[in-house]
Amino acid sequence: MIEAHEVRKQFGAVQALGGVSFTAHDGHITALLGPNGAGKTTLLRTLVGMLKRDHGTIAVDGVDPEHDPLAVRANIGFLTDQFGLYERLSTREYLTYFGELNGMGGSGLRQRIDDVAEMLAMDDILERRSKGFSQGQRIKVALARALLHRPRHLLLDEPTRGLDVMSTRAVRQALAALREQGCCVVMATHVMQEVSHLCDDVIVIAKGHTVAQGTPADLCRRTGIANLEDAFVRLVGTDEGIVA
Amino acid sequence: MTSKFRIVFRKELRESLRDRRSLGLLALFTLMYPLLLGVLLHQWIDRATRPEREGIVLAVIGGAQAPTLMAQLKQKNITVHDTPPLDEAAIGDLLRAHKAAAVLRLPGKYAADYAAMRPARIELWYDSSTEQDGRRDVEDVLNAYGSNIAGARLLAHGVSPAALSPVQVQRYDTGTTAARSAGVIGGILGFLFFPAFICGLSAAVDSTAGERERRSLEVLMAQPVRTWELVAGKWLAAALLAIVGITLELMLAHAILSWMPLEEIGMSWRVSWGRLLLVCLASVPLSLFAAGMQIAVAMNARSFKEAQSVLSIVMLVPMLPGLAVSMLELKTASWMYLVPMLSNQTLLRETAKGGDIGFLPFVLTFLCSALAAWAAVAFAVWRMKSERYVLAV
Repeated sequence: MIEAHEVRKQFGAVQALGGVSFTAHDGHITALLGPNGAGKTTLLRTLVGMLKRDHGTIAVDGVDPEHDPLAVRANIGFLTDQFGLYERLSTREYLTYFGELNGMGGSGLRQRIDDVAEMLAMDDILERRSKGFSQGQRIKVALARALLHRPRHLLLDEPTRGLDVMSTRAVRQALAALREQGCCVVMATHVMQEVSHLCDDVIVIAKGHTVAQGTPADLCRRTGIANLEDAFVRLVGTDEGIVA
Repeated sequence: MTSKFRIVFRKELRESLRDRRSLGLLALFTLMYPLLLGVLLHQWIDRATRPEREGIVLAVIGGAQAPTLMAQLKQKNITVHDTPPLDEAAIGDLLRAHKAAAVLRLPGKYAADYAAMRPARIELWYDSSTEQDGRRDVEDVLNAYGSNIAGARLLAHGVSPAALSPVQVQRYDTGTTAARSAGVIGGILGFLFFPAFICGLSAAVDSTAGERERRSLEVLMAQPVRTWELVAGKWLAAALLAIVGITLELMLAHAILSWMPLEEIGMSWRVSWGRLLLVCLASVPLSLFAAGMQIAVAMNARSFKEAQSVLSIVMLVPMLPGLAVSMLELKTASWMYLVPMLSNQTLLRETAKGGDIGFLPFVLTFLCSALAAWAAVAFAVWRMKSERYVLAV
């Protein structure tokens, strides 16, 4: 479970986060919606303790990432728009590296890599070096890396972007399976269809503030708009949505 | 839990060893550099040991008109080749082919002019782009011959030839080939340590600026790894390449230098393998410092190219004290062992002389670079921890 309360962060004169509060529950997939520049990346980085907040509280399973960032990170799978692949390493070597960084090793790690590769349907690229991988292959490798150490929490930034239909399905199935296992998944996305199909909760942030939190149906009810996309635009504020 | 810097270290090393660019630099500087030094020294020695004036070959056209001059040339160890008349192009070819140092042509009316006491023209042909010292010797002989004749003619008129030379110049050259070469070679020895800054460069840049450029650093920084473990792993991987490079290079240079007759050019290389290993050991922190500095600088660059262009300037800084000392011709002093790079150069130079310099210089050389390395790595860790750096990643 990830709980954030009134989290603020300022860079010089720029207020990146002006008060973000939300709760992401275990066994839920929580969508993080917000226009570009709303502060999603800053929020994710603050959650893993890479940035220090100016105000408010954050608890990941009760642990403050500022207090013990290593414990929090060991329990989080982190996938941002930076995939972080190494061209001169094969996928298996790459996954082994990050597995070891997360304290795994030996036959347990080898078995886990095989399992994750099967789950994401990426056996074919397991022994290849990542030079020349397609966008879809890259994102699969990055996702595999995020899932590898069986984190209880997943912070994913647009995990299905650039994927073909098959891969998108594979990723969605994997996420659904993780939800069944009781993981807490926070997913930033711009695909409304994905939100309505997959997500249990939605957090809408705009200009560094939480604008709304609830189930997709809640949001539609609150705005009085049946279509989630239109409801989102209303919540963000039409002008702001377009300007940002 | 074991420290994770070893995991980072292993991965960076494996990646570097798969990089042809970094391996290429390593091979180039460990092999090419000592070999180049060997070839250069060989040429110096060759020039220094070549006997003086081992016979200048002079082609002469129409030499029969001046038998006395020919005899004098032969006396001065100049080999005279009588040559049939040649035109300008043929003379040029002759000189280009190095068949003669110069060509002396006596025009047909030489004998007549000489007998009539008119200035008798002698043509000296030479190629200034390829000529060696030979031409000057010929000119000296011609001048001496001319003054002799002039003296004899004046004497015949009752004038002392001494009246013609109010001043007599006697030249003394105190410079020896050895002294001239010693300075140059001292500089070359100093450059033996430069590979410490080259061999690990590619790995250091690739694991910092390169990782930023490929957008993988954020992921790495979000792992449950302490910042110092990340930096230490990357630093040691780059440093290991530099250490291996410089050690191999020094050993190869040692093998080449011990084999060459350096005494011929006034240089000495009285170094045992034991001493050499001590020098290598004392130079390990230099590689650590080089890698640490490169990491600390390169991590601030956004791309491989940017890091390389900045580092190519920064890398010259450690060379400056050595250059300054050799330009100001300072005598070896203890403080020189306190400056990284300069300390290594001084240590090698003093060791090469073969005297006993005690252990203090080795210890100082080791410590000063180790301290600088520690400072560079501490800076890199501090910088990577800073929020501004995280934002820029």
